[in-house]
Amino acid sequence: MIRYILISAVLATTGPAQWLSYPTPGIPRTPDGKPNLSAPAPRTTDGKPDLTGLWTGFGGVADLKLDDAQPWARALIQQRADNFGKDNPRYLCLPEGPTAANAAEAFRRILQTPGIIAILDNDLTYRQIFMDGRKLEADPSPSWMGYSVGRWEGDTLVVDSAGFNDRTWLARNYPHTESLRMTERYKRIDFGHLEIEATLQDPGAYSRPWKFRVSAQFAADTEMVDMRCDPTEQGLQHWTGKISDAQRSAVKVAPEILAKYVGIYKGVWARRPRVVEMTLSGGTLFVSVGGAEPEPLASQSEISFSGNLGYTFIRNDQGIATDVVEMHVSQDVRLQRQK
Amino acid sequence: MIRQLPLLLIAFGTTVAAQWLNYPTPGIPRTPDGKPNLLAPTPRAADGKPDLYGIWTSGTVQGTLGETRINRGVRPEEPVLTSEGEALQARRKDNFPEVQCLPLNLPGLATAQPFKIFAIKGTVVFLYEYNTIYRQIFIDGRDLPNDPNPTWLGYSVGKWDGDTLVVDTTGFNDRSMAGGRLHSDALHIIERIRRPDFGHLEIQYTISDPKVYAKPWTVVQNHHLVPDTELLEYICNENEKDLKHMVGGR
Repeated sequence: MIRYILISAVLATTGPAQWLSYPTPGIPRTPDGKPNLSAPAPRTTDGKPDLTGLWTGFGGVADLKLDDAQPWARALIQQRADNFGKDNPRYLCLPEGPTAANAAEAFRRILQTPGIIAILDNDLTYRQIFMDGRKLEADPSPSWMGYSVGRWEGDTLVVDSAGFNDRTWLARNYPHTESLRMTERYKRIDFGHLEIEATLQDPGAYSRPWKFRVSAQFAADTEMVDMRCDPTEQGLQHWTGKISDAQRSAVKVAPEILAKYVGIYKGVWARRPRVVEMTLSGGTLFVSVGGAEPEPLASQSEISFSGNLGYTFIRNDQGIATDVVEMHVSQDVRLQRQK
Repeated sequence: MIRQLPLLLIAFGTTVAAQWLNYPTPGIPRTPDGKPNLLAPTPRAADGKPDLYGIWTSGTVQGTLGETRINRGVRPEEPVLTSEGEALQARRKDNFPEVQCLPLNLPGLATAQPFKIFAIKGTVVFLYEYNTIYRQIFIDGRDLPNDPNPTWLGYSVGKWDGDTLVVDTTGFNDRSMAGGRLHSDALHIIERIRRPDFGHLEIQYTISDPKVYAKPWTVVQNHHLVPDTELLEYICNENEKDLKHMVGGR
């Protein structure tokens, strides 16, 4: 539901935008004129890999689990989930911060000079990474985008960041404190591929450091489209209800019926493959989307269930599910059972 | 004044504890006593063109609150509205988008708070402290799009005319204010950007909008370099307190 709103905004602006077919000047091309994404990584005059370019395909998944969260953080995660994540500052058009931004699917332009690297996000915010040898300050004033300094380790750009406020959300409703630290390692494998590995730690909220990895591709012959969030047109007033409301109004469905829904369902949503797994535990049906932690579903009828999204099963004569319809704001998505 | 006051107060509020505010800018010319030499020659990029890199502001840096960062633009003539422009003016209330934390347009975006110019490989980028947003100017030879999808900051292409970077921008929506004035989607802004010496930047804006104004009008804005400091983060929407006080009309 939440994701749909973002994606619809992107789709809405994509159509008539500008320079979307403008050939990127000065990039290596194959004899037939196509961008040669496996050409060698370009280098700057000082011999370092040049990360400059328009990149897409961000969207790493953090390996952080609910069990890693301290009790206060776990309670907050559950409370946010119950509200469908409505309080996420992104819906007030506030910046997502570099942590969330790196984990979200987006375009991003990197501009590299020896002394400073700028990263431009498609929501019109930017980061600066200082490469002039300055150190992170010991007691930084908390900010949305944090403060970043970088250095080269061989051909890898290593960026240390701190000074985040505690208002941005990590992926999946997870909070963090002002003691969050992030180290990113950027490696341009070849012309068309940039590997980013981020290690984060926040001893104020989580018991261990965690990582996410991003494989970004060079976006040739196109341009970044602004996604300007308008705080006057948010529609937050339409976001009502809680997951727990649905749980309170849940009806009892016999476990033998639910058992016939257990399995893996596949389909396509927002032009991407989508895998949903249904499991049964303690008489309750759980859904796991894309390998994420299973969430309980509340039965609204024998075939309809509510969680973060709604699900309606399609059954054969024996009551065995053949498909599940996942209800998004945009449209219903039919996912076919695999086994 | 109503519009400027909230900006000034918020900017001042974040100044105290922010970072690297006294970090000496590496590699800039200095006088024998170690102070930045703002009258040194214009720095040049490898291609011989002026290098516009730096943090620029339009007010006094160490001045009092009242003096700091006030728009010092020179607007020599009052623009004359067309009949369509007069009708538009009558229809529109005093609806300043920045009060709702929507983007400022030029030249206000460059005068509200300092900005950094960053040039690389066919692109000049303005990193604005105001709302921590940026603007890209393509100087790789591409033309302006014919039928642009309207945006807050428009689409910009630039080319060098001697030592002056000439930037053409169109494709604005009709919701912003240009130079504090309303405009239509026919707005076209030409900037002539010069760095006459190390510490000074001049931007001349020619603002035309044949639907709203009888003829183009010009604003000249003088900026100076702010050395040994850094941009602050400023997120308007973080602490918006003004909207409910904006009541009544003219």
